[in-house]
Amino acid sequence: MRLRVQYTAQLRTVSGRAEDEVEVPEGSNLAELLRRVASELPLEAAPYLLTPGGELQPSLLVAVNNGAVMSREAHAVLVHTGDVIMLMPPIAGG
Amino acid sequence: MSQLPELTSDERARYEWQLWVRGFGEQGQRRLKGTTVFVSRIGGVGGAVAMQLAAAGVGRLILAHAGDLRLDDLNRQSLMTTDWIGKPRIESAVRRLRELNPHVAVDTIAENVDQCNVERLAGPADVIVSAAPLFEERLQMNREAVRRGVPLVDCAMYEMEGRLTTVVPGRTPCLSCLAPEPPPNWKREFPVFGAVASTVGSLAAMEVIKLAAGLGEPPSGRLLNFDLRSMTFTTITIARRQDCAVCGLLSHETTF
Repeated sequence: MRLRVQYTAQLRTVSGRAEDEVEVPEGSNLAELLRRVASELPLEAAPYLLTPGGELQPSLLVAVNNGAVMSREAHAVLVHTGDVIMLMPPIAGG
Repeated sequence: MSQLPELTSDERARYEWQLWVRGFGEQGQRRLKGTTVFVSRIGGVGGAVAMQLAAAGVGRLILAHAGDLRLDDLNRQSLMTTDWIGKPRIESAVRRLRELNPHVAVDTIAENVDQCNVERLAGPADVIVSAAPLFEERLQMNREAVRRGVPLVDCAMYEMEGRLTTVVPGRTPCLSCLAPEPPPNWKREFPVFGAVASTVGSLAAMEVIKLAAGLGEPPSGRLLNFDLRSMTFTTITIARRQDCAVCGLLSHETTF
């Protein structure tokens, strides 16, 4: 099944684009999707998605169809065809 | 705010255009005049917040920001002037704000928020505005807002994007619900336009005015994410975490 993955902030900068269509097997959860995205983006994107130990980055905020999901809850969230997944690394001021 | 301050004739004339706003009026202006707002820091985002709040007639601003002005601050820090390079930012800010509106009390502190000073700096505030570049500072202000039960407006930017949410302790998620720890890969310096800083700062100032005057609806339980590259504004629904170390034990509804 295919989903739309949108990149914001630093992830948009390092990916060089606003969004991708990503294909994952039926029944996939959000954590599996995030790992697929991490494997397909340039290496500079990895720290925003994964910890050095390979766990999902705890500070990453993910919106599934405009509803926020913390990355630590991603294993429990199934994704579906046509979902729009927005990846939102934290930003601040300056 | 049981005893609202009166408006002078000069203030009525100065604020005439916003006194025409439905649901605001003289009562809203008096409530705004009776409000103290803490802003940290007063760079690109916080400077825009302070400028708009001063123009609108907030009663008292408490501004915190350490350090001296640099040339590369000037693309976005609208309270600063070129002749002030090398001098304390906070002095330029207070000078500009007093020129804009002498009716507003402006307290300045040449410090950045930390664990030791957050209670002293933000203690008198009815609303806290989080505009700092470091997450440690934002999380300190969040803890203080939750501890005291006062709202916190959090605003952030990156490149051509901005984010904004309002924390109302006991009713909405707090910053710690969203990011319990500072992200390890945030860089202190990042790409951004001043126009983006002013956009998110002005949105934050409007939220403070709404909170102070009881006007409209705060984006409670929602996080605004905007992308000026595509002119797309998206509102994300966010939820409290019952296991949040900062606000998880708050079960009551707090009103401002």
